[in-house]
Amino acid sequence: MTMEQVWLLPAIPAGVFVILSLFNRVLPRRGDFVAVLGMGTVVVLAVLAIADFQGAFHDGHFAPAPGANTYEFTWVNIGDGVLRIMFSTYFDAITAVMVFVVSFVALMVFLFSIGYMHGEERYGWYFAVLSLFAGAMLLLVTTNSLIFLYLAWEGVGLTSYLLIGFYWERQSAAEAAKKAFITTRVGDVGFLIGIILLWRVAGTFDIQELIHLAEEGAFSETYLTVSMIFLFMGAVGKSAQFPLHVWLPDAMEGPTPVSALIHAATMVVAGVYLVARTLPIFDLVPIAQNFVLYTGLFTAVMAATQGLVANDIKRVLAYSTVSQLGFMFVALGLGSVTAAMFHLLTHAFFKSLLFLGSGSVIHATHQQEVEHLGGLWRKLPITTVTFSIGSLALAGIVPFAGFWSKDEILLEAFELNPFAYAVLAGTAALTALYTTRVVLLTFAGRPRDQHAYDHAHESGPIMLLPLVLLATLALGSGFVAFDGVGRALGFVGGIGQVVTSHGEPHSFAFHPNIAVPATVLALLAIGAGFEYWGGNAIRAERARQWAPELHALLVNRYYMDNLYQAFIDRVVLGLAGIVARFEKSVVNESGVDGGAQTLNWMGFRLKFLQTGRIPNYALGMALGVLVLSIFALGGGE
Amino acid sequence: MTASDGYVLLALVLIPIGTSVLLMFTPSKERGAVIGITGLSSLAMFVLSVYAFAMYDFEGEQFQGMLTIPWVSNVGLLGEKGIQLKLGLDGMAATLVLLTGIITMAGTWVSWKLTHRMKDYFILLYLVAGGVYGTWVMLDVFFFFLLYETAVLPMYLLIGVWGSTRKEYGATKLMMMLVGASILIFVGIFGAFSAAGLGTFDMEELFRAGETGLIPRNTQILLFPMVAVGCGTLAGMWPFHSWSPDGHASAPTSVSMLHAGVLMKSGAWGVIRLGFQMLPQGAEYWAPALMVIGITAALYGAISALRQTDLKLMTGFSSVSHMGYVFVGLGTLNVIGMSGAVLQMFAHGVMTALFFLLIGGMYDQSHNREIPNFSGMAKQMPIWTIFFVIAGLASLGLPGMSGFIAEVHIFIGVFRAYPVVGGLAVLTAAITATYLLRMFSQAFFGEFNPRWSHLREINYRERAGATVLAITILTMGIWPAPWIDRVANAVAQTIPGVSM
Repeated sequence: MTMEQVWLLPAIPAGVFVILSLFNRVLPRRGDFVAVLGMGTVVVLAVLAIADFQGAFHDGHFAPAPGANTYEFTWVNIGDGVLRIMFSTYFDAITAVMVFVVSFVALMVFLFSIGYMHGEERYGWYFAVLSLFAGAMLLLVTTNSLIFLYLAWEGVGLTSYLLIGFYWERQSAAEAAKKAFITTRVGDVGFLIGIILLWRVAGTFDIQELIHLAEEGAFSETYLTVSMIFLFMGAVGKSAQFPLHVWLPDAMEGPTPVSALIHAATMVVAGVYLVARTLPIFDLVPIAQNFVLYTGLFTAVMAATQGLVANDIKRVLAYSTVSQLGFMFVALGLGSVTAAMFHLLTHAFFKSLLFLGSGSVIHATHQQEVEHLGGLWRKLPITTVTFSIGSLALAGIVPFAGFWSKDEILLEAFELNPFAYAVLAGTAALTALYTTRVVLLTFAGRPRDQHAYDHAHESGPIMLLPLVLLATLALGSGFVAFDGVGRALGFVGGIGQVVTSHGEPHSFAFHPNIAVPATVLALLAIGAGFEYWGGNAIRAERARQWAPELHALLVNRYYMDNLYQAFIDRVVLGLAGIVARFEKSVVNESGVDGGAQTLNWMGFRLKFLQTGRIPNYALGMALGVLVLSIFALGGGE
Repeated sequence: MTASDGYVLLALVLIPIGTSVLLMFTPSKERGAVIGITGLSSLAMFVLSVYAFAMYDFEGEQFQGMLTIPWVSNVGLLGEKGIQLKLGLDGMAATLVLLTGIITMAGTWVSWKLTHRMKDYFILLYLVAGGVYGTWVMLDVFFFFLLYETAVLPMYLLIGVWGSTRKEYGATKLMMMLVGASILIFVGIFGAFSAAGLGTFDMEELFRAGETGLIPRNTQILLFPMVAVGCGTLAGMWPFHSWSPDGHASAPTSVSMLHAGVLMKSGAWGVIRLGFQMLPQGAEYWAPALMVIGITAALYGAISALRQTDLKLMTGFSSVSHMGYVFVGLGTLNVIGMSGAVLQMFAHGVMTALFFLLIGGMYDQSHNREIPNFSGMAKQMPIWTIFFVIAGLASLGLPGMSGFIAEVHIFIGVFRAYPVVGGLAVLTAAITATYLLRMFSQAFFGEFNPRWSHLREINYRERAGATVLAITILTMGIWPAPWIDRVANAVAQTIPGVSM
């Protein structure tokens, strides 16, 4: 397996989808083993492809440039090149990170799902759609053509729709699926417009060629700014950034492993990937890049505050995902691909760990409201330990993975934009606070729902294995920042040497003046969390009563969902009502029916001329003769 | 294609019409014989259509499989060539021939469950099919118009006799509007004929006359709106669309399929053949207006569909919206956008036929089409739901489905010409997603309404028809080159004044 055959990565899960969707009812175990074997193969092939890449990279054979596609063929060709759409794959360091994250987390989630989804009515269909998702996601990260990127982009959106609505008998799930699809579709309108605007000048959909042309100045700056902001709209929708973030918390209606894979580790980072991939173009247009920066910054704070009050364990994690994605966009807005991709990598591991851990809790108790949980550490020891590891990573405590990557982002911000640094540091403390809250309410204290607690039992090995593996990565994956670790893995150095910003490798260095305050702040926040939620319920109640209006504002998600609903109900459907009335009264009743009725009326009136009396007709003839003779005589003069 | 393939094209017109004649002499009681005859006939049409599509060599000459039989010459105004039975296929027509073959076959299969005067139904339905085939392959304006009318007129009886809900109103409205529009086409054709002064209805001669200016530019500018509105009415062109939702709502299943899937396309085809090819200078003058009408239709249809509760009315307005894209594409006057328009004719034909097939399969049992009355239908009719979702996804332009291929070409073409219109066109696709997904979550998902527990899954013939249509949607979505190569070459070479 070399980089040239990387098209196999999306092809295998897509093939699994075809097999499973048609034959899952006749296969033993509904064909789940086909999906797992397919994904296992993909992980092996992905590792081989990465090995091939790092070999080339090591030897210096690798240069990101136009025409560096590893594989391509012509898909559409009009007028011999007037419109040419290529299918192409491309492999660089960003691809390597994405391919590993997607295939590895997918395999973990597939394994976990065997236990979690056991006995579901649509078990085979679940694995079919999950495989289709993996295929689309792998295509998204390996293709170098914006059209195929868009195709994969919509493909992951479709599978997300199908999986959020997996329990479609629940109206809430059906509504959440619809909301997710339509909200991201709004972003995709901009995305497609952006793609076509870029093509309009450059005449190509090839990302590397576009970067090359942009650097050569083929676009005017204003045009490029507008195009890139449109392109970024797609990322805003897919990565649930303000103002299109509203769909992600509702997306938690889907099965929990789906939330782990799609709505935490992979699909929602597609927007980050897109911006990272096109960052050389964003570098040329500071307005668009600042747009990315401040969108991410605002979203990071906003979502973190909402995470403080949510009661559903999965919703807390969803808000935290939105917030962490905001961190990544800040890194990109500051121009650092390295920091963004590093955080993407560690976040994928610890966040999917947290989601699978919450899945383990839900599987054991059939409860997901933290109000009804508590004291579960006695019953679910392994889940508790792994979940805590994930939480520490999320909170950014040394030496867990999240610390190192968050530190990178904070460092970039500290050097380039002190305001962003201050906001992010505060957000990091909020993160530690809500993480502590959810861990304490779930696992510590007394059980608040005795019935759920009594029936709880630790999950089976097929579910614990992914938890343990992901916990190992949540603990250790941050160390790839160090050159020594990178070299030990066979790369030229740490992640900064491989995934480069502006093509300049950089070595990781420990900055105590950033790391120490951040850690102290996080520890203080954890302490505050223990203070409020570690003790009895009265304390926790006091936290809620501290500022009731603020609490209501946060619980109601800043009333944004209500605002959007009102917009749809009043404005969109109101406009539709006006158009419908126009159609009915003007087009149909006045135009078509009215025309017919006018003719009918004229016929009705004119029929009275046909009286049937000879004298009337004779009078008519006489008048006719008279008129004609006047004309004749007049003409003669 | 070789010269003898001209007889294949002739057969495509004569088989359905011959079937109609044969059925007239078949006793009504012999349902088996009717089913056998129509089954064989539709299969033959399908095979020949696929053959014509596959054998069309898109790198060869533009008109292939030419067959010319003199009909009337040297009489009165008619000169040496006069009226000829002249057939030939270009890349656009090859695509539409394939479309007709697929939909006629699927439509035939689902109509075999009719109990009321099935034989008479098929006599009229096959006249429509024959007429539509004729409009694709005829290269003589006289025969073009003759067969165009042959396709339109049986609709009156098909809807009036076999329809449902306000069928008399729907049938009358449809017929009055379409016949009224035909008068405009008639004027347009004879205006061009006399302005050219060649004494022939031969399309190739008239196309050349239009291109070289033998038909004066001012005459073309005068005649183009007549042809465009005349043919456009059949294509559901806003604001002359209002027959379409009502007509579709009252038509029986396979009539809706054939009508929305194929016959509406022959309206757009008339705009291309008689407008863009015969009156190119007029077309160039009016193209911006066509684009404004098209984008208005796209938005208007989509917004109207948001408020519809009847499944068929929603699909009807969706058709208005999607046919609006066709006019947007034609108005771009560049090869990408115009190819997109023809691709959209194909893509919309297949998806809308699938919609009507599925709505019919459910309505025949439930006698209800009000979306709010349904809930959780995926539980009772999962296969039906899957097909419906496929059609819906194609309709909202999901990549990997035929609709996206057509739409993306139109969008790209429009962005070249008028970026603002392009932005509105992309926005329309989002509105389409909204009304379809609202319908999905209301009717298919949620708790099952036990009122419908007597409904059964669609039958095997309907499943077979739906499968053929769904496979077409996916094939074109994943591997669009066979369609695009044929269409784009024809657009670039046979439509004068098209920029690259």
